[in-house]
Amino acid sequence: MIELKNISKRYGLTTFGVRDLNFEIRDQEFLVIYGPSGAGKSTTLKLLAGIIKPTSGDIVRDGQSLLETAPESRDMAMAFENYALYSHMSVRDNLAFPLHARAMSKKEIDERVQRMARTLQITDLLDRRPGFLSGGQRQRVALGRAIIRPASLYLLDEPIGHLDAKLRHRMRGELKAMSADLNATIVLVTTASREALALGERIAILREGHLQQIGTPDEVYYQPVNEFVASFVGEPPMSFLGIEPRSDGGKLRFQIQDCDDCLDVPMQLAQHLNGQKEGYRLGVRASEITVSSQKDPSHQVAGEVYIVEHMGYCNIISAKLGNGLVRVITESAVIPKRGETIWLSLNAENMHLFYQTKALQHPSRSRDGLKTNGVMTEAR
Amino acid sequence: MATITLDKVSKTYGNRVEAVKSITLEVKDGEFVALLGPSGCGKSSTMRMIAGLEEITEGTISFDGKPVNNLRPRDRKVAMAFETYALYPTLTVYENLAFPLRSAGWDKAKIDEKVQEYAKLLELGRLLDRVPSDLSGGQAQRVGLARALVREPACFLLDEPISHLDTRQRHRMRQIIMRLHLEKGFTMIYVTHDQEEAMAMADRIVVMHEGMIRQIGTPAEIYRDPADDFVAGFVGEPPMNFLEGSPNLDDGQWMFRSGDRQFPLPKWMQPQGDKLPSNLSMGIRPFDVAVSTDGNTPHDAAGEVFVAENLCDYRIVAVDMTDVRFQAVTPTSFSVNRHQPVFLKFDPAFMRFFDKATGKAIQTPRD
Repeated sequence: MIELKNISKRYGLTTFGVRDLNFEIRDQEFLVIYGPSGAGKSTTLKLLAGIIKPTSGDIVRDGQSLLETAPESRDMAMAFENYALYSHMSVRDNLAFPLHARAMSKKEIDERVQRMARTLQITDLLDRRPGFLSGGQRQRVALGRAIIRPASLYLLDEPIGHLDAKLRHRMRGELKAMSADLNATIVLVTTASREALALGERIAILREGHLQQIGTPDEVYYQPVNEFVASFVGEPPMSFLGIEPRSDGGKLRFQIQDCDDCLDVPMQLAQHLNGQKEGYRLGVRASEITVSSQKDPSHQVAGEVYIVEHMGYCNIISAKLGNGLVRVITESAVIPKRGETIWLSLNAENMHLFYQTKALQHPSRSRDGLKTNGVMTEAR
Repeated sequence: MATITLDKVSKTYGNRVEAVKSITLEVKDGEFVALLGPSGCGKSSTMRMIAGLEEITEGTISFDGKPVNNLRPRDRKVAMAFETYALYPTLTVYENLAFPLRSAGWDKAKIDEKVQEYAKLLELGRLLDRVPSDLSGGQAQRVGLARALVREPACFLLDEPISHLDTRQRHRMRQIIMRLHLEKGFTMIYVTHDQEEAMAMADRIVVMHEGMIRQIGTPAEIYRDPADDFVAGFVGEPPMNFLEGSPNLDDGQWMFRSGDRQFPLPKWMQPQGDKLPSNLSMGIRPFDVAVSTDGNTPHDAAGEVFVAENLCDYRIVAVDMTDVRFQAVTPTSFSVNRHQPVFLKFDPAFMRFFDKATGKAIQTPRD
């Protein structure tokens, strides 16, 4: 286990790469570090690798500080985004390079290189030099060179970000399988929500150098600690509505900002309110609500269709509600017209409640997953 | 605003590299068209010829019926937005936006009106007094878009404007760009390698590959009735699965035979069974593949689980068969382990077939 203890990295006088990071990397875990650019993701990897030293704090492996251990003695394998390949060597030699330091026979090295090349679908590139490869090909070689040898920790900085969709899906699967088969410990950095969810056993979400939340995909998706995590995990991002609690004939209701509609406040939510009038927002995921062309008992809130995005298997509708936009996913056959009124199944019970951007309450999980026009259930 | 016509337009670099091969295309007034394809497909060269930044080797580009081949870029009234923006570093955001209008000789009140209008559309209201060095990447980009647009061009060209943004910013920009289109009615041409962006935003998509147009259609047409196996594999996330095989008449019914698998060809293909090419490729999207752990349920194929990915909204299960790996989308409640045997059923309504020799789709009947 590797622990980051109060790790800060300061550049210059006031700029922090990361600030007071505290989390652990468990043995044989696939940990994804996720966040926008400037969050400190790559800085964290470089600190782990020993390429840069923290300004304060400690990195501890199995009870011993790693700070005085040189990068090459940390038994970590790295693949960074700028793929520093040896330009004078063929792809084959680039892949074999990390194996030469080990007492491995030529035959064994050859076999490993072949196997890795097959996994990464670069077999026909083995005799080329890096200068003759496309960006996506170089990225695969760099990934291969990092993961070809056993290491106590693999550090992968956006290793598949530049690949086309087909290859990215394939490599995502290969990475996941590799972590399972080798019982490897992997830390991977990404800015893509789906990649983070698909790969991570746990996801650490960073923003401006601070750790926002660390947890399983389900935890950060269903129980985000704040609006940032809520809006950054999941696709399309969560929609938010400003609300004001007010008493309506003795009954507590949420008035949606700049909108005539009110939402009933269920008992279990009412107890979380603190008497304040401002600072509350409700959040809802596009897949957590449904729409209807008519008002009915479960579709009580009207919205005006503003934007329709066609995703093939579904449509994402952005509906205007007061000043805000609420995204909702519909089947691809449902294509409302711009300006049309639709009714949303908004209901405080199935929404996330935030106060001053911090989460107060999450809905209980009772969803069926994404609807599609294809078969989504088990075989009939 | 303008209708833009490309008539047999080609672009050759030097005397050998043919980047664009005789493409013909009409972008209607006010239409949002995406040029979609992998790197090197000719989409950026096409856009640069429309903008006037590249010479047209052959063919004609017309705006509202008038050829523009010999017009300089600034006389074509196009605005172009790139992934990176060169803002004036010493000017505030407001001044950056006002600059092109001032040089065009607009009066102060009109300039202010336009700047405010575009500041609102691109959500720059609170940033107007800042200088570019105080802006985040996403903010600088929105300023760049606004500056390209304040002069209200006949056509707005965007080249991969959001591909470097993170997921959340990308969705926000998607809404902003679509709002621009809806509110201002610009004719928009949007170049991207990201099929999801093209699908989400465009009225029509032009799929390009190796300098040629492979298909032009609405997002729904491209997704559901791809013209060939390239379009089929390039559009859709997760990507379409393919299985190679042959038509086979079995007991009076036309079947698709692939290795030791065999299942009936869809009803609409039965009458033309004897006219089908002998080598076919069947394509089916992961959303249209059902998975079961029970071998007694009717199924079209069998394999074992390679990995399962939990995307919280749904799960993607990769299934290894002897010759090929398939992906299937399942509800999150469907739980499987690695190497577990599973059985696949393909929804016949969404199976698509391609001639293996030419890649062309076997035409599905229109309803």
